[in-house]
Amino acid sequence: MITLTDESSDDHLVSSALKGDDGAFAQLVTRYKRRVFRLAARFAHDNDELEDLCQEAFIKAYENLSSFRRDAPFEHWLMRITVHVCQDALRSRRRNGNHSTFDGQQFEVRDLSADARHEAQQARDLLAWALARLKPDERLVITLLELEEYSVREIAVMTGWSEANVKVRAHRARQALKKILEQHDER
Amino acid sequence: MKDETDRRLEQLFSLARTVQHDTSAMEEHFETRVMARIREQEAKAIPWFALVWRMIPIFAVVAAIAAICNMNFTPLHSEDMFAAIANGQEDYAGSFLTGE
Repeated sequence: MITLTDESSDDHLVSSALKGDDGAFAQLVTRYKRRVFRLAARFAHDNDELEDLCQEAFIKAYENLSSFRRDAPFEHWLMRITVHVCQDALRSRRRNGNHSTFDGQQFEVRDLSADARHEAQQARDLLAWALARLKPDERLVITLLELEEYSVREIAVMTGWSEANVKVRAHRARQALKKILEQHDER
Repeated sequence: MKDETDRRLEQLFSLARTVQHDTSAMEEHFETRVMARIREQEAKAIPWFALVWRMIPIFAVVAAIAAICNMNFTPLHSEDMFAAIANGQEDYAGSFLTGE
């Protein structure tokens, strides 16, 4: 007997989407769009790029749905695709020499006083400026580790790097970030 | 100095974690836009049989070139047995030798 929970489970929706039910895939998009937007917003430099990154992540998921092996939750698989899409965007931006970050965009700061909110915005701006000067892989690993608070193991799964490699890259990224901040302070 | 930068970095991370980009407006009808783009891409995609159909003139040209080359580079049957052997016309040479 199929229960309502089974019908709305990710696996069931994936199976339906594979049989050509676009509505099922749309349900998956509705379910995970916030997670994808949240992560992509850490890397996008404006709303247009953010929309593009999120659409690209879901389109890649749709196109490669048959390769989803179901040995891990759909969400993990989707986040892995999102990370790769963001990584490609960072590399492409680096090649084009574009260091701009989210300027003048709407940000949400919850449960903070006006002063704390202002301080948080300043911190975000300074960190965004410094992160934009890191190499794409360094920025990716430090953002996932320190801002999104993923574990080393989770980052290893998402990026396809070994755990040791993630640790080394995170260490290098941290050192580079410190150097950038020190140079900023000396000015 | 190093420790101070470390502390500052930790503080920056901690403060930046509390700031989230407000994407709620962008998330509205996002699934509609994604599905529309998927349908658009699918409509643009060329099915394999259409590709094969479009390749027919190329196949025809290749076949014609192969036929012309075959005609030009295959020497005519020679009445001379040694010439036939030299030209790779073993069938003719065999017939000549067996008297068929």
